Amino acid sequence: MWVLSFGYESSFAPPSVLPDISPTRGVPNAAPKTWLSCQCCAMTRALILLRRRLVGSIFVLLIVVVGTFLLLEAAPGDAVDAYIVSTGGDAGMIELLRHRWGLDQLELTRLANYLWALLHLDLGQSVTFSRPIRDVILERLPTTLLLMGSATALSFGLGSALGIYAGARPGSFRDRFLSIGSLALYAVPGFWLGLVLIIVFAVDLRWFPIGGIESIASGKTGLDRAADIARHLVLPVSALGFIYLALYLRMMRAGMAEVWRQDFVLAARARGLSRQRIVLAHVARNALLPLVTMLGLQSAQMLGGSVVIESVFSVPGLGRLAQEAVAARDTPLLLGIILVSAVLVVIVNLLVDIAYAFLDPRVGASEAGA
Amino acid sequence: MSEFTISRRTMLAGSALLLASTAMPTIGWAQTPKKGGRLVVAADSEPRNLNPAIVASNGVFFISSKIVETLAEASFDGKDGLDPRLALSWEGDADGLSVTFKLREGVKWHDGKPFTSADVAFSALQVWKPLQNLGRTVFKDLEAVDTPDEATAVFKFAKPTPFQLIRNALPALTSVVPKHIYETGKIEDNPANNAPVGTGPFKFAEYKPGEYYRLEKNTDYWGKDQPYLDEIIYQVLPDRTSAASALEAEEIQLAAFSAVPLADLDRISKVPGLKVITKGYEALTYQLIVEINHRRKELADLKVRQAIAHAINKDFVVKTVFLGYAATATGPVPKNDPQFYTADVPTYDFDVAKANALLDEAGYSRGDDGKRFSLKLLPAPYFNETKQFGDYLRQALAAIGIDAQLVNNDSAAHIKAVYTDHAFDLAVGPPVFRGDPAISTTILVQSGIPDGVPFSNQGGYKNAELDALIAKASETLDTAARTELYKEFQRKVAADLPLINVAEWSFISVARDTVKNIANNPRWAVSNWADTWLEA
Amino acid sequence: MSPLRRFLRTPEAIAGAVFLAALFAVALAAPLFFPGDPQAIAGPALLPPFKDWSLPLGTDRLGRDVLAELFHGARTSLAVGLAAAAAALAVGAVIGTLAGFAGGLVDEVLMRITDAFQTVPAFLLALAFVSIVGPSLGVVVVAIALGAWTGPARVARAEVLSIRERDFVAGARVIGMHPLEIAFREVLPNALPPVLALSSVIVAAAILTEAALSFLGLGDPNRVTWGGMIAEGRAVLRTAPFLSIIPGVALVLTVLGVYLTGEGVVETTAVRRSLS
Repeated sequence: MWVLSFGYESSFAPPSVLPDISPTRGVPNAAPKTWLSCQCCAMTRALILLRRRLVGSIFVLLIVVVGTFLLLEAAPGDAVDAYIVSTGGDAGMIELLRHRWGLDQLELTRLANYLWALLHLDLGQSVTFSRPIRDVILERLPTTLLLMGSATALSFGLGSALGIYAGARPGSFRDRFLSIGSLALYAVPGFWLGLVLIIVFAVDLRWFPIGGIESIASGKTGLDRAADIARHLVLPVSALGFIYLALYLRMMRAGMAEVWRQDFVLAARARGLSRQRIVLAHVARNALLPLVTMLGLQSAQMLGGSVVIESVFSVPGLGRLAQEAVAARDTPLLLGIILVSAVLVVIVNLLVDIAYAFLDPRVGASEAGA
Repeated sequence: MSEFTISRRTMLAGSALLLASTAMPTIGWAQTPKKGGRLVVAADSEPRNLNPAIVASNGVFFISSKIVETLAEASFDGKDGLDPRLALSWEGDADGLSVTFKLREGVKWHDGKPFTSADVAFSALQVWKPLQNLGRTVFKDLEAVDTPDEATAVFKFAKPTPFQLIRNALPALTSVVPKHIYETGKIEDNPANNAPVGTGPFKFAEYKPGEYYRLEKNTDYWGKDQPYLDEIIYQVLPDRTSAASALEAEEIQLAAFSAVPLADLDRISKVPGLKVITKGYEALTYQLIVEINHRRKELADLKVRQAIAHAINKDFVVKTVFLGYAATATGPVPKNDPQFYTADVPTYDFDVAKANALLDEAGYSRGDDGKRFSLKLLPAPYFNETKQFGDYLRQALAAIGIDAQLVNNDSAAHIKAVYTDHAFDLAVGPPVFRGDPAISTTILVQSGIPDGVPFSNQGGYKNAELDALIAKASETLDTAARTELYKEFQRKVAADLPLINVAEWSFISVARDTVKNIANNPRWAVSNWADTWLEA
Repeated sequence: MSPLRRFLRTPEAIAGAVFLAALFAVALAAPLFFPGDPQAIAGPALLPPFKDWSLPLGTDRLGRDVLAELFHGARTSLAVGLAAAAAALAVGAVIGTLAGFAGGLVDEVLMRITDAFQTVPAFLLALAFVSIVGPSLGVVVVAIALGAWTGPARVARAEVLSIRERDFVAGARVIGMHPLEIAFREVLPNALPPVLALSSVIVAAAILTEAALSFLGLGDPNRVTWGGMIAEGRAVLRTAPFLSIIPGVALVLTVLGVYLTGEGVVETTAVRRSLS
């Protein structure tokens, strides 16, 4: 019972993988389903699943924390070195700062202190911001969630729609065009796509702002503010979303190609149902399920991708904070960010798994066997 | 990397009274200033501590110099190259043991409390001397500050301190903070460090991390009718390419500190409504140097150092790396310094044949692969130009048979590698000339500095003669004699090459035509902008 | 129909394979066409393409020959991609095999570690790792592999789980082979094909990750990589767009080539497997 493992064994390639290329594993669960056949057993299964996953997650997060801590300890240069870059200072001053920031204590002492504080949900104090890390992160989290959520919605929505369009006629020109076009987008470095979007849509056409998350001190509230934020998000969300579009498009298309060959589709065709109806009601619907799992796996990837995109678009999110923390050697802050993103990934995957437990009655069985 | 572009370190603005700059560069000189408006400026780093009295660095000044004022500001045409701010006059005693400041009266802090000599005494003794990165050196012998009345502050030194040095330190080191806010609790933990309170033309209004800083007009400012602007916004743009785009998209009106890459200036100067300004940084000169680790036996040999100096085509560096926005260097004091610079030093022409001959003479002949020996070269990552010069230097060294391997670090790792671990053979550094050699270039040459002090001599260079010269200059009170000693210092450094000075550069601003009264002092970007205004 | 003939029936796969072959040729021939250091200064800075036929693609900010950089960049970019993929596949296959074959506590621990790696955004991990160890080509490869081995590990484990109950494994046990020997001699080779199928994805992702690291200033300055060229060119994106477009197009074509070829190979072999 692995936190993230559901689906891998039987069906999926891991994140960062365009799954339709894995050979023997076609699309899972391709058989027709009786959706939500048994509400109450689904509920129980979901609860059992939830409990197991939660226990496992704690171990995983512990590994993440300790591993990251040890990695960062090995870093040459500490927060004082990074700070002194912008100020200069003599030896006495450096010593003073090391002491004030608690950097003169032993490694293990600091790890122990950190873990102890963590038990109290205290992420510690950021040395560069001189503020509690929890506050610093919570400040940036909504922005990143918004960016990631919108980008995921874009790549999932548009990707699967185009995937259906392409997969409805496997091997056709549009199928090939979309499939290769999306791949080409996937192959463009994110930062470069971002820069080009800025030059075309912000500088030349001036349709959208060049960056930031909302207009500065505009005093906007309510719907006005929401519209303002939405306008600011268009370019970064497009840059991030288009990159991952290929993933869903190709997965959808491959899934559909697989489903077309299934008996029940053949039966439906034999019954003389219209092609459109078959595509939407049978083929696409069954091919959609694995994409939901991909959604969970993809969340870690998106978080990584947002580091670069947030930097290009001056979006004050978690990814940029992580980059700042690395540059400033703010070990506790970076630990906090990695931990929070790990928790985020775990939660997303849990949600996906639970959703799956409701959607696919066979989950319980396969879980029990593992 | 964009994190680090504004300022590496602080600088004292020297009294850089440049002949070339006496013509006021201000555009729209004859126009009457308009009141009101919001000026949006690009910021590429986000200083956490905004207290300029503790962190005297350009990154901090860029924002906080508008809020917290110093005793005096650098000026193109003022006496000693200074303009009064919180102090109206300054007088040094002949024995070098005291300096008297007459302070401006009727000045109020942003919270309405009056500004007095007690604030100056508190700032000097409690903040500049013990806590400030540079004040710790300049004010190390400051014993007491007498305050005979509310408008007079007398600095008392335990040992003679050159008045020239104190004067040169005024614009950057003397930010006055309010005593009534800082006297309770630890100064380093005071919340005002992140939301400063001062006497300046603008008040700190708001900081949204990752987004912007906002300053508001101080309606009680002592300057008549000033400030003209209602608001200044520093918009955080972490990527180096975004400042140019933001200017073109009219989302910001000013990008200072070369936030627009040099390579983009030619193009952007042709964009209607934008202007490129090279003035206003005369007292903020950065030096491009090659730091040398004298522990390497090859580099301990003067001939090898001379060969390296001859291998560098300084004109190419200025033309290609800096696209002309720099000057070639002759020695450890920049050419544009009006007080100390001398051209009378040994020079090293670009001469590959001579460099090769010197290396052969030194006994490092080429191996079968054409290489004499290998070196580790660490370019400082703070500026695009230092990295590009690193790329160039690698090629220049290859031409004389020295195989340089570039090591690319981020800032923290670079500082550790060069200044603490000494894990370098050559490094490219951008030290700041702070208007007075006593607090800038000499520490790159002087021996006996403990390990781990950044931007100091960590190359293991030791020269008793130079050490004695530096020590003597630091306690010479007579300005002319002191200046002469520093000229001797330049000659000796250029002859013995503890480091190689390659070029000197300042920054470039790009602004919209509507921004007026800019670049009108030698530290303009880090001055108070009280007279800056916007044409509607 | 033979796999090769099937392969040849898909135009995308052929296009991909042809491009890849050309790329390998370019990479191998780079030292022949451009002997010496590709980073040497060859002419005036920022010379546009097609202006001077001795420097057909122009020069960069320092006056280095873009075409020479492109050729040598093909070497490093491919090397980074292949090395990272090889490392990730090797580590993943070993860990996956151990976990799947040993089962029990070993499995539990190994898979938890895999989970942990999978939970941390791979790019964040690479970023932290490179900035800590210092950017050199080897470090970049390791950093990328750190985030990429989990996929192969999971696939290998799943494969091993299904193989370990087969007859020949039981046979090996009976004759008293050491479990480790069985795991790596008997089981792993059989579990390998689906693991290897991930390689094209990893190669492509590795090339892109290297580019993103270079963008953040964490590339190896002694080597030319396409990612590094794009990252450097972005500062003059408006003034000299060719500096980032040329390597950008090369990068896109390469990633496409890798994918399409990989896909072609996998599809043809998959059909063969399902037929057999």
